Amino acid sequence: MQSLRSLLVPAVLVTWTLHAPGPVAQEPRTPEPRARAERSRPGNESPRAQSQDPRRGRGRSGGRRRGLTVIEAAVVHPVSGPPIENGVVVIRGERILAVGLQGELELPANTQIYKYPNGHVYPGLIDASTDAFTDDDLRKDNKLNGGSELSEALVWTGDRDDQLIRHGVTTAYVSVRSSAQVRGQGAIVRPHVDRFELWEDKEQAALQLRMATGTESQHPLQRQAQLAAAEKLFNGLEDYRDAKEKFDKDLEKYNKDFEKYLEHHRKKNGKDEKKSEDEPEKSEGKQAEEPAEAPEGRRRGRGPGGRRRPPEGGGEGGETEDLLKGVLETDYTRALALIFEQQASSPAPQDPRGRRRPTGGRPAAAAEQKPADGKPEGEGGKKEEDGPKRPKYPKRPKVDPQKDALAKVIDGVMPLRVEAQRVEELRAALRLQRDNDVPLMVLEHAYAAGSIADEIAAQSTTVVLTNVMPHALGAPGEKRNPFAKFDVAALPRQLDEAGVPFAIASGSARLASVLTMMAANAVGAGASPEAVLRALTLTPAEILGVADDTGSLTRDKFADVLVTDGPLFASDSRVLLVLSKGRTEFERD
Amino acid sequence: MQRITHPLVGAAMLAAIAAPACAQDLLIKAGRIMVAPDSILEDSALLVRDGKIAYVGNDIPTEARARAREIDLGDHTVSPGFVLAATTLKSDADLAEGAFAFTPDLRVAEAFDAWNEHLEHLAPSCVTSFGMAPSPRNVAGGVGVLAKPGKTRGRIAAEDAFVGFSLVSAARSQERDPTSLMGARSLLSDAFEAARVGVEVGPDLAVLRQVMSGARSAMIYGDTYAELNAALALGKQFNFTPVIIGARDAHKVMGKLTERGASVVLGTLSPTKRVAELELPKKLADAGIPFCFAGRPDQLRVSAALAVRHGLSREAAHAALTRTPATLLGQQSAVGALRQGCSADFLVFDGDLLDLNARHIATWVDGVLLCGAEQTQNQHSAGANR
Repeated sequence: MQSLRSLLVPAVLVTWTLHAPGPVAQEPRTPEPRARAERSRPGNESPRAQSQDPRRGRGRSGGRRRGLTVIEAAVVHPVSGPPIENGVVVIRGERILAVGLQGELELPANTQIYKYPNGHVYPGLIDASTDAFTDDDLRKDNKLNGGSELSEALVWTGDRDDQLIRHGVTTAYVSVRSSAQVRGQGAIVRPHVDRFELWEDKEQAALQLRMATGTESQHPLQRQAQLAAAEKLFNGLEDYRDAKEKFDKDLEKYNKDFEKYLEHHRKKNGKDEKKSEDEPEKSEGKQAEEPAEAPEGRRRGRGPGGRRRPPEGGGEGGETEDLLKGVLETDYTRALALIFEQQASSPAPQDPRGRRRPTGGRPAAAAEQKPADGKPEGEGGKKEEDGPKRPKYPKRPKVDPQKDALAKVIDGVMPLRVEAQRVEELRAALRLQRDNDVPLMVLEHAYAAGSIADEIAAQSTTVVLTNVMPHALGAPGEKRNPFAKFDVAALPRQLDEAGVPFAIASGSARLASVLTMMAANAVGAGASPEAVLRALTLTPAEILGVADDTGSLTRDKFADVLVTDGPLFASDSRVLLVLSKGRTEFERD
Repeated sequence: MQRITHPLVGAAMLAAIAAPACAQDLLIKAGRIMVAPDSILEDSALLVRDGKIAYVGNDIPTEARARAREIDLGDHTVSPGFVLAATTLKSDADLAEGAFAFTPDLRVAEAFDAWNEHLEHLAPSCVTSFGMAPSPRNVAGGVGVLAKPGKTRGRIAAEDAFVGFSLVSAARSQERDPTSLMGARSLLSDAFEAARVGVEVGPDLAVLRQVMSGARSAMIYGDTYAELNAALALGKQFNFTPVIIGARDAHKVMGKLTERGASVVLGTLSPTKRVAELELPKKLADAGIPFCFAGRPDQLRVSAALAVRHGLSREAAHAALTRTPATLLGQQSAVGALRQGCSADFLVFDGDLLDLNARHIATWVDGVLLCGAEQTQNQHSAGANR
């Protein structure tokens, strides 16, 4: 026995070690990962692309995180503070534990140390606008609207455009530039070397609106007409919200009234309840959908009225006629019939459990089977002279996903991102924000922002700049190009001077490799290096609403870290190491 | 007032009034002076006289230094101005004879517009000299020039710099010969053969003789593999070394380019190009094939920066913007460097021009400030404080 016990303990320990999980990673919410892997182009994906489980995906340094990870470098750029020469970043698990000077910290024995004597450490870059992980169909879809959730349609192909992480981008906002006026809801993602994951609670990160009229609309009156159409976006929203609120209140009242109504009948028909309890067991498994269920959109089953349990003994509304057969002589079962009648008369949401809904004939069938006293149901309440009246189920307003999204914008839950280029477009966007009290608005492109920077600053609007390369919009003196006159490279300086928060973004997955060159160009055009570095890190984090977790090398933030072999803005600066939540995603040999 | 009565004094005064005032020498001092890509001076100076580099660094005589007007650029970097190897400055219509494909004796100098509106955009793009080439729409276009932008107008610096040929699709027209690449190749081949064997030739074939003798360089537009092969074969057959403009498929003929000692003028690089194109400059440099950048003047610096990002050395990138195109144009003694005797064509940056965060401060051509700020010791820019 003693020898058996002496074997048992080590066996248990070995077993525990083999199966002990690593530091808990936040399970990413990746919709349909297997389907997406199947859609990847064959031959382009790495062997690891098959795995969508973050705990199985590994960087070059191995998957399991143990102890501390330390990065020592010539210069550490926290962004939240001044650069630190001979700095160190200490990481535990997913989070940054400390940032400081080398030699000041006593490190435990099992610390993994990365040493870069000439390297520069930065927070992981945040690309505030990209079309990575989208395909041509989505990019050209002109039927997108405010209810379109782009997160449902993102795909991983594994080609050059998906390799954001290799360029140091650890967080990105994904949207498309289709010709639709309202382009759906963009998503925030975390790129990896072989996949991407959606940022939890940021699958619907912003609502995209196009107020830019492009180069096709050359006549000012034509552009004015297009802007007027965009400005009507919020028309009818107030009425819609009022109707929804009214429905919610009516539903709540209905639920209460119906409870009272049922309670009254239970008490009054106590013996009949006992009899009728046996009958509903025949139809068990065919439980009807609760009338109180009012789903918000096509994908979510939760409704504003909450989920209401069916009445006791109630059966599913699948086979109503069978259900009612033989049990309609009692007042209680008459109440059930009334329930079914109400369900049949109200719009039927799809039951995710796949149960069948009451058929359209049910109200007639139910109506035919009148109670024995011959009185119609509507007058049933009259029979209970002292009881509550049967409440009428409220009429549900027609669901409009775009208006639901706009409501989130008005409530400040989701920013409104507006693509506007010319001065009149930018002013129309600002007017839209003012007139509708939009709390969070982000201007995209904003080529003419320099001339109205003060107006933008006055409304606390933020800006995401793209195409910040020399003469990216057209050659100097190009007469037929209306955008050639805009000096996008000068915008960072102008916006910074006016106090407008701005981010510098690639605008396209193909340009992720030159994101830092764009930033360098902005410095060359007069912007301060500190403001420009912030425009790649902390400012886009703030714009995307993830600044509590990333965007700077600060204690308790995610260990999203980029190490380069030289200053970030040098043309030949190479990425040496990229960590995402403390996990090695890319490491140069 | 005392009257001037002596005739010699009066004559001297009249001569002084009549003669133009000589421009004062300029002493350009800077923290870093790139005389050539492989020759960099720290905390040095240039003496500019009559639009040319008179002395460099320690060679500047003390008395000249004392007489010169000093321009102290502080920590800034001085670089030779960019040389744009081949451009038409959007004047294709004037630089192509549409009715005849073979016009090697036409001269770009006779169609040069000194007030071309695109000249004013060159200095802000750091271009201080350029090869104005015949349009690629003619198989044998004519004789190109080296030209420069100026304060008020451009000027031709060298009238007979090179001869332009073309094998690209633009040179093939269904409205006149040649209509195909085969026809274009044959046309040139026959012409060169006639120039080689003919006893008395006209002015057109005389130009081809100069190409074969090496007196003039030949620049040939070619992009595809077939066009590049045709150009290289032509050079081999008639013993001249072509400079190929465009060369989009250069990576497919690297061996032949090396074998023939050919040079390449690349088009504009942009981030959306294929990786193979972005890495081509490095491959050319590794193979020892001279190359430079052309295309849009405002994208030369970006092209070089992108090439550096994809592995090209900084020295090679600097050369591709300055010395190499000057050499390809046969003008290396005049432009592309800041050696003694070269034109005083230089740029001022507050850092390495291959890093886009370095601010472009000024462009000088022939010792004249064309754009930007003239820095003095009392006017250091804020950009110097990095």
